[in-house]
Amino acid sequence: MGLNTSGRSSGSARQGEGSGFLFSGASVGTGMVTKPPPPSNCNAGIGLRLPHVAEIVATRPHLGFLEVHAENYMAETAALDRLLELRPDYPVSIHGVALSLGSAEELDRPHLGRFKALIERVEPVLVSEHLAWSTVGGAYLNDLLPLPYTEESLEIFCRHVGEAQETLGRRLLIENPSSYLRFRHSTIPEAEFLTETARRTGCGILCDVNNIYVSATNFRFDPIAYLDSLPAAAIGEIHLAGHHAAENVDILIDDHGSRVALPVWELYSAALKRFGAVPTLIEWDTKLPPLTILLDEARHAQELADVHRHAQFA
Amino acid sequence: MRKSSPMSIDMPSLLELQLQLRRAVLGGDGAGLVAAIHGDGLDPAVRLRIYRNHAFAALGAVLESTFPVVRRLVDKRFFAYAAHEYLREHPPHSRLLAEYGADFADFLASFEPCADLPYLADVARFEWALNMAATVREAAPLPIEALAAVPRENAACLALRLQPSVGYFASGWPIDTIWQANQQSEVPMVDLASGGTTIEIRRADEGFSWQRLDPGAFAFRRALAEGFALAAAAATATVEDTAFDLAAALDRIFAEGLAVGLGAC
Repeated sequence: MGLNTSGRSSGSARQGEGSGFLFSGASVGTGMVTKPPPPSNCNAGIGLRLPHVAEIVATRPHLGFLEVHAENYMAETAALDRLLELRPDYPVSIHGVALSLGSAEELDRPHLGRFKALIERVEPVLVSEHLAWSTVGGAYLNDLLPLPYTEESLEIFCRHVGEAQETLGRRLLIENPSSYLRFRHSTIPEAEFLTETARRTGCGILCDVNNIYVSATNFRFDPIAYLDSLPAAAIGEIHLAGHHAAENVDILIDDHGSRVALPVWELYSAALKRFGAVPTLIEWDTKLPPLTILLDEARHAQELADVHRHAQFA
Repeated sequence: MRKSSPMSIDMPSLLELQLQLRRAVLGGDGAGLVAAIHGDGLDPAVRLRIYRNHAFAALGAVLESTFPVVRRLVDKRFFAYAAHEYLREHPPHSRLLAEYGADFADFLASFEPCADLPYLADVARFEWALNMAATVREAAPLPIEALAAVPRENAACLALRLQPSVGYFASGWPIDTIWQANQQSEVPMVDLASGGTTIEIRRADEGFSWQRLDPGAFAFRRALAEGFALAAAAATATVEDTAFDLAAALDRIFAEGLAVGLGAC
Protein backbone atom coordinates (compact mmCIF):
# COMPACT_ATOMS: atom_id res chain seq x y z
CA MET A 1 0.00 0.00 0.00
CA GLY A 2 1.01 3.59 -0.39
CA LEU A 3 2.53 5.03 2.72
CA ASN A 4 0.17 7.55 4.22
CA THR A 5 1.96 9.98 6.41
CA SER A 6 -0.92 11.92 7.75
CA GLY A 7 -4.51 11.40 8.70
CA ARG A 8 -7.48 13.28 9.89
CA SER A 9 -10.83 12.46 11.27
CA SER A 10 -13.82 14.46 12.26
CA GLY A 11 -16.37 13.98 14.92
CA SER A 12 -14.34 11.60 16.99
CA ALA A 13 -14.97 13.36 20.25
CA ARG A 14 -17.35 11.14 22.07
CA GLN A 15 -20.69 12.17 23.34
CA GLY A 16 -23.21 10.12 25.22
CA GLU A 17 -26.86 10.93 25.87
CA GLY A 18 -29.34 13.67 26.13
CA SER A 19 -32.54 14.58 27.85
CA GLY A 20 -35.21 18.13 29.45
CA PHE A 21 -36.94 21.97 30.81
CA LEU A 22 -37.82 23.63 34.02
CA PHE A 23 -38.98 25.80 36.41
CA SER A 24 -37.61 28.91 37.73
CA GLY A 25 -37.65 30.78 40.94
CA ALA A 26 -37.54 27.75 43.18
CA SER A 27 -35.25 28.13 46.12
CA VAL A 28 -33.27 25.54 47.96
CA GLY A 29 -34.30 24.29 51.34
CA THR A 30 -37.67 25.91 51.59
CA GLY A 31 -39.82 22.83 51.33
CA MET A 32 -42.47 22.73 48.66
CA VAL A 33 -42.46 25.48 46.13
CA THR A 34 -45.43 27.07 44.52
CA LYS A 35 -46.06 26.04 40.96
CA PRO A 36 -45.58 28.58 38.21
CA PRO A 37 -48.50 29.28 35.88
CA PRO A 38 -48.70 26.85 32.96
CA PRO A 39 -46.38 27.99 30.17
CA SER A 40 -48.37 29.16 27.20
CA ASN A 41 -45.79 28.11 24.66
CA CYS A 42 -43.90 24.98 23.79
CA ASN A 43 -42.77 22.87 26.71
CA ALA A 44 -41.67 19.66 25.01
CA GLY A 45 -37.93 19.15 24.59
CA ILE A 46 -35.44 16.63 23.29
CA GLY A 47 -31.99 15.49 24.27
CA LEU A 48 -29.20 17.19 22.35
CA ARG A 49 -27.09 14.51 20.68
CA LEU A 50 -23.91 15.12 18.72
CA PRO A 51 -25.17 13.59 15.43
CA HIS A 52 -28.15 16.00 15.49
CA VAL A 53 -26.33 19.19 16.41
CA ALA A 54 -25.61 20.45 12.89
CA GLU A 55 -29.22 19.95 11.82
CA ILE A 56 -30.55 21.68 14.92
CA VAL A 57 -28.19 24.60 14.33
CA ALA A 58 -29.31 24.83 10.71
CA THR A 59 -33.06 24.34 11.14
CA ARG A 60 -33.70 25.69 14.67
CA PRO A 61 -36.75 23.47 15.32
CA HIS A 62 -39.42 24.82 17.65
CA LEU A 63 -38.71 23.16 20.98
CA GLY A 64 -39.32 24.07 24.59
CA PHE A 65 -35.80 23.13 25.64
CA LEU A 66 -32.76 20.97 25.01
CA GLU A 67 -31.42 18.59 27.62
CA VAL A 68 -27.83 17.37 27.94
CA HIS A 69 -26.08 14.93 30.20
CA ALA A 70 -23.83 16.91 32.51
CA GLU A 71 -20.94 14.48 32.28
CA ASN A 72 -20.62 14.91 28.50
CA TYR A 73 -19.89 18.62 28.83
CA MET A 74 -17.48 18.79 31.72
CA ALA A 75 -14.38 19.02 29.53
CA GLU A 76 -13.42 21.90 27.26
CA THR A 77 -14.61 20.25 24.09
CA ALA A 78 -16.13 21.18 20.77
CA ALA A 79 -19.39 19.69 22.06
CA LEU A 80 -19.45 22.33 24.81
CA ASP A 81 -18.79 25.07 22.26
CA ARG A 82 -21.78 23.91 20.22
CA LEU A 83 -24.01 23.80 23.27
CA LEU A 84 -23.02 27.36 24.20
CA GLU A 85 -23.79 28.46 20.63
CA LEU A 86 -27.32 27.06 20.90
CA ARG A 87 -27.85 28.39 24.41
CA PRO A 88 -29.20 31.82 23.41
CA ASP A 89 -31.97 30.18 21.37
CA TYR A 90 -32.99 27.32 23.66
CA PRO A 91 -33.44 26.88 27.38
CA VAL A 92 -31.13 24.07 28.47
CA SER A 93 -31.75 21.40 31.06
CA ILE A 94 -28.72 19.69 32.60
CA HIS A 95 -29.29 16.08 33.56
CA GLY A 96 -26.58 14.56 35.75
CA VAL A 97 -26.00 10.82 35.57
CA ALA A 98 -22.94 10.28 37.77
CA LEU A 99 -23.26 12.24 41.01
CA SER A 100 -24.26 8.98 42.70
CA LEU A 101 -26.38 10.71 45.31
CA GLY A 102 -27.40 7.32 46.71
CA SER A 103 -23.86 6.17 47.54
CA ALA A 104 -23.23 5.28 51.16
CA GLU A 105 -19.84 6.95 50.75
CA GLU A 106 -19.37 10.69 50.61
CA LEU A 107 -20.09 12.71 47.48
CA ASP A 108 -17.25 13.21 45.00
CA ARG A 109 -16.36 16.85 45.68
CA PRO A 110 -14.25 17.42 42.55
CA HIS A 111 -17.07 16.06 40.43
CA LEU A 112 -19.55 18.33 42.18
CA GLY A 113 -17.17 21.22 41.47
CA ARG A 114 -17.15 20.39 37.76
CA PHE A 115 -20.94 20.20 37.83
CA LYS A 116 -21.11 23.65 39.42
CA ALA A 117 -18.72 25.12 36.84
CA LEU A 118 -20.88 23.71 34.04
CA ILE A 119 -24.03 25.23 35.56
CA GLU A 120 -22.30 28.60 35.73
CA ARG A 121 -21.33 28.33 32.06
CA VAL A 122 -24.65 27.11 30.70
CA GLU A 123 -27.15 28.75 33.10
CA PRO A 124 -29.66 25.92 32.71
CA VAL A 125 -33.34 26.25 33.47
CA LEU A 126 -33.46 22.81 35.07
CA VAL A 127 -30.87 20.63 36.81
CA SER A 128 -31.66 17.03 37.61
CA GLU A 129 -30.16 13.82 38.99
CA HIS A 130 -31.36 10.35 39.99
CA LEU A 131 -32.68 8.36 42.89
CA ALA A 132 -29.91 5.81 42.42
CA TRP A 133 -26.22 5.19 43.01
CA SER A 134 -23.32 4.25 40.74
CA THR A 135 -20.09 4.52 42.72
CA VAL A 136 -18.60 2.49 45.55
CA GLY A 137 -15.01 1.90 46.62
CA GLY A 138 -13.66 4.22 43.92
CA ALA A 139 -15.31 2.29 41.07
CA TYR A 140 -17.84 4.04 38.85
CA LEU A 141 -20.17 1.32 37.60
CA ASN A 142 -21.83 3.43 34.89
CA ASP A 143 -25.32 2.34 35.76
CA LEU A 144 -28.15 3.73 37.85
CA LEU A 145 -28.14 1.05 40.53
CA PRO A 146 -31.07 0.44 42.87
CA LEU A 147 -31.25 1.54 46.49
CA PRO A 148 -32.95 -0.27 49.32
CA TYR A 149 -35.64 2.09 50.57
CA THR A 150 -34.85 2.21 54.27
CA GLU A 151 -34.57 4.91 56.93
CA GLU A 152 -30.77 4.62 56.62
CA SER A 153 -30.72 5.16 52.85
CA LEU A 154 -33.31 7.95 53.11
CA GLU A 155 -31.15 9.80 55.62
CA ILE A 156 -28.03 9.38 53.45
CA PHE A 157 -29.80 10.27 50.22
CA CYS A 158 -31.37 13.41 51.68
CA ARG A 159 -28.02 14.50 53.13
CA HIS A 160 -26.40 14.13 49.70
CA VAL A 161 -29.21 15.94 47.89
CA GLY A 162 -28.93 18.76 50.42
CA GLU A 163 -25.14 18.96 50.03
CA ALA A 164 -25.40 18.94 46.25
CA GLN A 165 -28.04 21.67 46.21
CA GLU A 166 -25.99 23.78 48.56
CA THR A 167 -22.81 23.41 46.52
CA LEU A 168 -24.52 23.90 43.18
CA GLY A 169 -26.62 26.78 44.47
CA ARG A 170 -29.56 25.24 42.65
CA ARG A 171 -32.64 23.24 43.35
CA LEU A 172 -32.29 19.73 41.96
CA LEU A 173 -35.01 17.61 40.43
CA ILE A 174 -34.65 13.96 41.44
CA GLU A 175 -35.76 11.29 38.97
CA ASN A 176 -37.49 8.06 39.87
CA PRO A 177 -35.57 5.04 38.50
CA SER A 178 -36.69 2.07 36.42
CA SER A 179 -36.26 -1.03 38.55
CA TYR A 180 -35.52 -4.67 37.93
CA LEU A 181 -35.14 -5.82 41.51
CA ARG A 182 -36.46 -4.98 44.96
CA PHE A 183 -34.63 -5.45 48.23
CA ARG A 184 -36.32 -7.42 50.96
CA HIS A 185 -35.34 -4.98 53.67
CA SER A 186 -36.92 -1.96 51.95
CA THR A 187 -39.57 -0.49 54.23
CA ILE A 188 -40.59 2.67 52.36
CA PRO A 189 -42.54 2.71 49.08
CA GLU A 190 -40.52 4.44 46.35
CA ALA A 191 -43.00 7.27 45.76
CA GLU A 192 -43.03 7.94 49.49
CA PHE A 193 -39.21 7.91 49.55
CA LEU A 194 -39.18 10.56 46.81
CA THR A 195 -41.89 12.60 48.49
CA GLU A 196 -40.04 12.58 51.78
CA THR A 197 -36.78 13.57 50.03
CA ALA A 198 -38.56 16.54 48.45
CA ARG A 199 -40.07 17.50 51.82
CA ARG A 200 -36.77 17.30 53.69
CA THR A 201 -34.49 18.91 51.11
CA GLY A 202 -36.75 21.18 49.08
CA CYS A 203 -35.73 19.37 45.90
CA GLY A 204 -38.20 18.86 43.08
CA ILE A 205 -39.08 15.63 41.34
CA LEU A 206 -38.40 14.63 37.77
CA CYS A 207 -41.20 12.20 37.03
CA ASP A 208 -40.05 9.63 34.47
CA VAL A 209 -43.35 8.24 33.25
CA ASN A 210 -41.72 5.44 31.28
CA ASN A 211 -39.78 4.36 34.38
CA ILE A 212 -43.00 4.22 36.39
CA TYR A 213 -44.62 2.10 33.68
CA VAL A 214 -41.60 -0.24 33.45
CA SER A 215 -41.32 -0.70 37.23
CA ALA A 216 -45.09 -1.06 37.64
CA THR A 217 -45.14 -3.80 35.02
CA ASN A 218 -42.11 -5.55 36.49
CA PHE A 219 -43.48 -5.50 40.04
CA ARG A 220 -47.20 -5.50 39.27
CA PHE A 221 -48.20 -2.32 41.01
CA ASP A 222 -50.67 0.35 39.85
CA PRO A 223 -48.83 3.14 38.01
CA ILE A 224 -51.73 5.55 38.51
CA ALA A 225 -51.56 5.03 42.26
CA TYR A 226 -47.82 5.80 42.07
CA LEU A 227 -48.53 9.04 40.19
CA ASP A 228 -51.24 9.94 42.68
CA SER A 229 -48.91 9.52 45.63
CA LEU A 230 -46.33 12.00 44.29
CA PRO A 231 -46.64 15.63 45.44
CA ALA A 232 -47.90 17.48 42.37
CA ALA A 233 -46.34 20.79 43.39
CA ALA A 234 -42.85 19.25 43.40
CA ILE A 235 -42.96 17.89 39.84
CA GLY A 236 -40.64 20.05 37.74
CA GLU A 237 -40.16 17.88 34.67
CA ILE A 238 -41.38 14.72 33.00
CA HIS A 239 -39.30 12.22 31.03
CA LEU A 240 -40.72 9.99 28.30
CA ALA A 241 -38.74 7.20 26.65
CA GLY A 242 -39.00 3.80 25.06
CA HIS A 243 -38.66 0.32 26.55
CA HIS A 244 -38.61 -3.26 25.36
CA ALA A 245 -39.38 -6.71 26.72
CA ALA A 246 -36.35 -8.68 27.88
CA GLU A 247 -35.62 -11.95 26.10
CA ASN A 248 -36.82 -15.07 27.85
CA VAL A 249 -37.90 -13.35 31.04
CA ASP A 250 -41.06 -11.49 31.89
CA ILE A 251 -39.44 -8.10 32.43
CA LEU A 252 -39.55 -4.74 30.71
CA ILE A 253 -36.26 -2.90 30.18
CA ASP A 254 -36.08 0.87 29.91
CA ASP A 255 -33.93 1.44 26.80
CA HIS A 256 -34.02 5.10 25.70
CA GLY A 257 -33.68 3.66 22.23
CA SER A 258 -37.19 3.43 20.79
CA ARG A 259 -40.43 5.34 20.47
CA VAL A 260 -42.58 6.00 23.52
CA ALA A 261 -44.99 3.08 23.87
CA LEU A 262 -48.75 3.60 23.71
CA PRO A 263 -49.45 2.75 27.38
CA VAL A 264 -46.74 5.24 28.37
CA TRP A 265 -48.46 7.97 26.35
CA GLU A 266 -51.66 7.09 28.20
CA LEU A 267 -49.87 7.31 31.52
CA TYR A 268 -48.43 10.65 30.39
CA SER A 269 -51.97 11.97 29.87
CA ALA A 270 -52.77 10.90 33.42
CA ALA A 271 -49.63 12.65 34.64
CA LEU A 272 -50.64 15.87 32.82
CA LYS A 273 -53.99 15.77 34.57
CA ARG A 274 -52.32 15.40 37.91
CA PHE A 275 -49.24 17.62 37.50
CA GLY A 276 -50.21 20.07 34.77
CA ALA A 277 -48.19 20.74 31.61
CA VAL A 278 -44.68 20.58 33.03
CA PRO A 279 -41.62 20.56 30.75
CA THR A 280 -41.48 17.15 29.09
CA LEU A 281 -38.45 15.49 27.54
CA ILE A 282 -38.27 12.86 24.83
CA GLU A 283 -35.29 10.86 26.07
CA TRP A 284 -33.46 8.90 23.38
CA ASP A 285 -29.85 7.88 24.03
CA THR A 286 -29.12 4.72 22.09
CA LYS A 287 -29.80 3.62 18.50
CA LEU A 288 -30.26 7.27 17.71
CA PRO A 289 -32.89 7.83 14.97
CA PRO A 290 -33.03 10.77 12.53
CA LEU A 291 -33.83 14.06 14.25
CA THR A 292 -37.29 14.11 12.65
CA ILE A 293 -38.34 11.10 14.72
CA LEU A 294 -37.40 12.87 17.95
CA LEU A 295 -39.20 16.01 16.82
CA ASP A 296 -42.25 13.93 15.94
CA GLU A 297 -42.29 12.42 19.44
CA ALA A 298 -41.84 15.86 21.00
CA ARG A 299 -44.70 17.19 18.87
CA HIS A 300 -46.96 14.42 20.15
CA ALA A 301 -46.04 15.25 23.75
CA GLN A 302 -46.82 18.89 23.02
CA GLU A 303 -50.20 18.00 21.51
CA LEU A 304 -51.17 16.03 24.60
CA ALA A 305 -50.07 18.91 26.83
CA ASP A 306 -52.11 21.34 24.71
CA VAL A 307 -55.18 19.10 24.90
CA HIS A 308 -54.77 19.08 28.66
CA ARG A 309 -54.34 22.84 28.81
CA HIS A 310 -57.39 23.53 26.68
CA ALA A 311 -59.49 21.11 28.68
CA GLN A 312 -58.40 22.88 31.83
CA PHE A 313 -59.31 26.34 30.60
CA ALA A 314 -62.40 25.41 28.62
CA MET B 1 -48.25 3.09 54.33
CA ARG B 2 -44.94 1.83 55.56
CA LYS B 3 -44.65 -1.77 56.43
CA SER B 4 -43.93 -2.52 60.03
CA SER B 5 -40.23 -3.14 60.30
CA PRO B 6 -39.27 -6.48 58.76
CA MET B 7 -35.61 -5.85 59.59
CA SER B 8 -33.63 -8.85 60.56
CA ILE B 9 -30.36 -8.66 62.40
CA ASP B 10 -28.40 -9.52 59.29
CA MET B 11 -29.86 -6.70 57.21
CA PRO B 12 -26.84 -5.32 55.34
CA SER B 13 -25.85 -1.70 55.84
CA LEU B 14 -26.10 0.45 52.73
CA LEU B 15 -22.32 0.35 52.29
CA GLU B 16 -22.16 -3.44 52.65
CA LEU B 17 -24.97 -3.84 50.17
CA GLN B 18 -23.30 -1.54 47.65
CA LEU B 19 -19.98 -3.38 47.95
CA GLN B 20 -21.84 -6.65 47.37
CA LEU B 21 -23.67 -5.24 44.38
CA ARG B 22 -20.34 -4.09 42.97
CA ARG B 23 -19.06 -7.67 43.25
CA ALA B 24 -22.20 -8.92 41.54
CA VAL B 25 -21.96 -6.39 38.70
CA LEU B 26 -18.22 -6.59 38.05
CA GLY B 27 -17.42 -10.14 39.08
CA GLY B 28 -20.73 -11.91 38.48
CA ASP B 29 -20.67 -13.04 42.10
CA GLY B 30 -24.12 -12.30 43.49
CA ALA B 31 -24.19 -15.07 46.09
CA GLY B 32 -23.99 -12.65 49.01
CA LEU B 33 -26.91 -10.62 47.71
CA VAL B 34 -29.46 -13.18 46.62
CA ALA B 35 -31.00 -13.44 50.08
CA ALA B 36 -31.56 -9.67 50.15
CA ILE B 37 -33.57 -9.61 46.91
CA HIS B 38 -37.25 -10.32 46.38
CA GLY B 39 -37.73 -13.00 43.74
CA ASP B 40 -41.02 -11.53 42.50
CA GLY B 41 -41.40 -14.63 40.35
CA LEU B 42 -37.82 -14.70 39.10
CA ASP B 43 -34.48 -16.01 40.29
CA PRO B 44 -32.79 -13.05 42.05
CA ALA B 45 -29.60 -13.95 40.18
CA VAL B 46 -31.43 -13.23 36.91
CA ARG B 47 -32.41 -9.83 38.24
CA LEU B 48 -28.81 -9.06 39.20
CA ARG B 49 -27.69 -10.10 35.72
CA ILE B 50 -29.87 -7.36 34.17
CA TYR B 51 -27.76 -4.74 35.93
CA ARG B 52 -24.52 -6.57 35.18
CA ASN B 53 -25.37 -6.87 31.48
CA HIS B 54 -26.31 -3.22 31.27
CA ALA B 55 -23.10 -1.98 32.90
CA PHE B 56 -20.92 -4.23 30.73
CA ALA B 57 -22.75 -3.34 27.52
CA ALA B 58 -22.46 0.39 28.20
CA LEU B 59 -18.79 0.31 29.21
CA GLY B 60 -17.96 -2.11 26.40
CA ALA B 61 -19.53 0.34 23.95
CA VAL B 62 -17.30 3.11 25.33
CA LEU B 63 -14.21 0.98 24.66
CA GLU B 64 -15.44 0.03 21.18
CA SER B 65 -15.90 3.66 20.25
CA THR B 66 -12.45 4.62 21.54
CA PHE B 67 -10.55 1.66 20.07
CA PRO B 68 -12.24 0.83 16.72
CA VAL B 69 -9.02 -0.27 15.02
CA VAL B 70 -8.03 -2.56 17.87
CA ARG B 71 -11.51 -4.05 17.63
CA ARG B 72 -11.12 -4.59 13.93
CA LEU B 73 -7.69 -6.16 14.30
CA VAL B 74 -8.84 -8.75 16.83
CA ASP B 75 -12.42 -9.12 15.57
CA LYS B 76 -15.58 -8.22 17.38
CA ARG B 77 -15.96 -11.30 19.55
CA PHE B 78 -12.40 -11.34 20.81
CA PHE B 79 -12.63 -7.62 21.54
CA ALA B 80 -15.76 -8.19 23.61
CA TYR B 81 -13.90 -10.87 25.55
CA ALA B 82 -10.83 -8.67 26.12
CA ALA B 83 -13.05 -5.70 27.09
CA HIS B 84 -14.91 -7.91 29.54
CA GLU B 85 -11.70 -9.05 31.22
CA TYR B 86 -10.42 -5.48 31.33
CA LEU B 87 -13.67 -4.12 32.80
CA ARG B 88 -13.63 -6.68 35.56
CA GLU B 89 -10.17 -5.70 36.72
CA HIS B 90 -10.21 -2.03 35.73
CA PRO B 91 -13.63 -0.49 36.28
CA PRO B 92 -13.82 3.25 35.61
CA HIS B 93 -12.56 5.49 38.38
CA SER B 94 -13.63 8.69 36.68
CA ARG B 95 -17.27 9.58 36.25
CA LEU B 96 -16.38 11.07 32.88
CA LEU B 97 -16.51 8.16 30.49
CA ALA B 98 -14.39 10.07 27.99
CA GLU B 99 -11.55 9.30 30.40
CA TYR B 100 -12.23 5.57 30.48
CA GLY B 101 -9.69 3.31 28.79
CA ALA B 102 -6.46 5.18 29.59
CA ASP B 103 -4.76 1.95 30.65
CA PHE B 104 -6.47 -0.38 28.16
CA ALA B 105 -3.26 -0.42 26.09
CA ASP B 106 -1.22 -1.53 29.12
CA PHE B 107 -3.80 -4.21 29.80
CA LEU B 108 -3.55 -5.50 26.22
CA ALA B 109 0.26 -5.51 26.43
CA SER B 110 0.11 -8.06 29.23
CA PHE B 111 -3.02 -9.90 28.08
CA GLU B 112 -1.74 -13.36 27.24
CA PRO B 113 -4.28 -14.19 24.49
CA CYS B 114 -2.98 -11.15 22.51
CA ALA B 115 0.66 -12.22 22.73
CA ASP B 116 0.86 -13.01 19.01
CA LEU B 117 -0.12 -9.41 18.10
CA PRO B 118 2.87 -7.54 19.56
CA TYR B 119 1.85 -4.24 17.93
CA LEU B 120 -1.71 -4.30 19.31
CA ALA B 121 -0.96 -2.37 22.51
CA ASP B 122 0.71 0.40 20.50
CA VAL B 123 -2.32 0.64 18.21
CA ALA B 124 -4.41 1.09 21.35
CA ARG B 125 -2.03 3.78 22.63
CA PHE B 126 -2.30 5.54 19.29
CA GLU B 127 -6.10 5.42 19.29
CA TRP B 128 -6.18 6.69 22.86
CA ALA B 129 -3.92 9.62 21.89
CA LEU B 130 -6.16 10.44 18.90
CA ASN B 131 -9.21 10.50 21.14
CA MET B 132 -7.55 12.67 23.74
CA ALA B 133 -6.38 15.18 21.12
CA ALA B 134 -9.89 15.42 19.69
CA THR B 135 -11.32 16.58 23.01
CA VAL B 136 -8.91 19.46 23.60
CA ARG B 137 -9.76 22.92 22.35
CA GLU B 138 -7.13 24.60 20.15
CA ALA B 139 -5.53 27.88 21.21
CA ALA B 140 -4.91 30.89 18.95
CA PRO B 141 -1.62 30.40 17.08
CA LEU B 142 1.26 32.79 17.68
CA PRO B 143 2.62 34.63 14.60
CA ILE B 144 6.29 34.11 13.85
CA GLU B 145 6.84 37.86 14.24
CA ALA B 146 6.58 37.30 18.00
CA LEU B 147 10.06 35.76 17.85
CA ALA B 148 11.58 38.98 16.51
CA ALA B 149 10.45 40.81 19.63
CA VAL B 150 12.53 38.56 21.89
CA PRO B 151 15.70 40.38 23.09
CA ARG B 152 18.83 38.67 21.77
CA GLU B 153 20.18 38.04 25.28
CA ASN B 154 17.05 35.98 26.09
CA ALA B 155 17.17 33.87 22.95
CA ALA B 156 19.21 31.03 24.45
CA CYS B 157 16.64 30.49 27.14
CA LEU B 158 13.57 30.89 24.94
CA ALA B 159 10.91 28.16 25.03
CA LEU B 160 7.74 27.75 22.95
CA ARG B 161 4.37 26.71 24.23
CA LEU B 162 2.63 24.43 21.72
CA GLN B 163 -1.04 23.74 21.03
CA PRO B 164 -2.66 22.17 24.11
CA SER B 165 -3.94 19.24 22.07
CA VAL B 166 -0.58 18.24 20.61
CA GLY B 167 0.94 14.86 21.42
CA TYR B 168 3.97 12.91 20.24
CA PHE B 169 3.75 9.22 19.60
CA ALA B 170 6.60 6.83 18.82
CA SER B 171 6.46 3.11 18.18
CA GLY B 172 8.75 0.40 16.87
CA TRP B 173 5.85 -0.68 14.61
CA PRO B 174 4.33 1.13 11.61
CA ILE B 175 1.28 2.05 13.67
CA ASP B 176 0.10 4.85 11.38
CA THR B 177 0.15 2.51 8.39
CA ILE B 178 -1.78 -0.12 10.31
CA TRP B 179 -4.29 2.50 11.46
CA GLN B 180 -4.74 3.92 7.96
CA ALA B 181 -5.17 0.46 6.44
CA ASN B 182 -7.95 -0.28 8.88
CA GLN B 183 -9.95 2.77 7.88
CA GLN B 184 -10.71 1.05 4.57
CA SER B 185 -13.38 -1.52 3.88
CA GLU B 186 -10.81 -3.91 2.35
CA VAL B 187 -7.74 -3.87 4.56
CA PRO B 188 -4.59 -3.87 2.40
CA MET B 189 -1.49 -5.82 3.39
CA VAL B 190 0.72 -3.95 5.82
CA ASP B 191 4.44 -4.70 5.91
CA LEU B 192 5.08 -5.02 9.63
CA ALA B 193 8.81 -5.10 8.93
CA SER B 194 8.70 -1.62 7.42
CA GLY B 195 9.89 -0.20 10.71
CA GLY B 196 8.77 2.15 13.41
CA THR B 197 7.18 5.52 13.24
CA THR B 198 7.26 8.92 14.90
CA ILE B 199 3.98 10.84 14.76
CA GLU B 200 2.56 14.16 15.86
CA ILE B 201 -1.14 14.21 16.83
CA ARG B 202 -3.30 17.25 17.35
CA ARG B 203 -6.88 18.47 17.32
CA ALA B 204 -8.27 19.52 13.95
CA ASP B 205 -11.75 20.70 13.07
CA GLU B 206 -14.15 18.61 15.12
CA GLY B 207 -11.73 15.70 15.37
CA PHE B 208 -8.03 14.99 15.23
CA SER B 209 -5.21 15.00 12.70
CA TRP B 210 -1.82 13.36 12.70
CA GLN B 211 1.30 13.50 10.62
CA ARG B 212 4.45 11.44 10.46
CA LEU B 213 7.55 13.46 11.36
CA ASP B 214 11.17 12.69 10.57
CA PRO B 215 13.18 11.78 13.68
CA GLY B 216 14.86 15.21 13.93
CA ALA B 217 11.64 17.24 13.79
CA PHE B 218 9.96 14.73 16.11
CA ALA B 219 12.72 15.02 18.74
CA PHE B 220 12.70 18.81 18.46
CA ARG B 221 8.96 19.24 18.81
CA ARG B 222 8.61 16.66 21.53
CA ALA B 223 11.34 18.40 23.55
CA LEU B 224 9.55 21.73 23.10
CA ALA B 225 6.28 20.18 24.21
CA GLU B 226 8.07 18.95 27.32
CA GLY B 227 9.17 22.53 28.09
CA PHE B 228 12.79 22.46 26.92
CA ALA B 229 14.27 25.70 25.62
CA LEU B 230 14.93 26.06 21.89
CA ALA B 231 18.65 25.47 22.30
CA ALA B 232 18.21 22.27 24.28
CA ALA B 233 15.47 21.02 21.96
CA ALA B 234 17.67 21.70 18.94
CA ALA B 235 20.53 19.77 20.56
CA THR B 236 18.19 16.82 21.06
CA ALA B 237 17.13 17.00 17.43
CA THR B 238 20.72 17.10 16.23
CA VAL B 239 21.38 13.79 17.98
CA GLU B 240 18.66 12.24 15.78
CA ASP B 241 19.51 14.17 12.63
CA THR B 242 22.95 15.72 12.20
CA ALA B 243 21.57 17.92 9.39
CA PHE B 244 18.82 19.37 11.63
CA ASP B 245 18.07 22.96 10.55
CA LEU B 246 16.74 25.03 13.46
CA ALA B 247 15.53 28.01 11.40
CA ALA B 248 13.64 25.81 8.96
CA ALA B 249 12.14 23.78 11.81
CA LEU B 250 10.90 26.95 13.50
CA ASP B 251 9.41 28.28 10.26
CA ARG B 252 7.45 25.09 9.87
CA ILE B 253 6.18 25.11 13.47
CA PHE B 254 4.82 28.62 13.06
CA ALA B 255 3.44 27.89 9.61
CA GLU B 256 1.48 24.98 11.07
CA GLY B 257 0.01 27.16 13.81
CA LEU B 258 1.61 24.94 16.42
CA ALA B 259 3.16 27.63 18.63
CA VAL B 260 0.75 29.43 20.91
CA GLY B 261 3.04 31.24 23.33
CA LEU B 262 6.57 32.05 24.43
CA GLY B 263 8.22 31.00 27.65
CA ALA B 264 11.62 30.89 29.27
CA CYS B 265 13.59 27.96 30.58
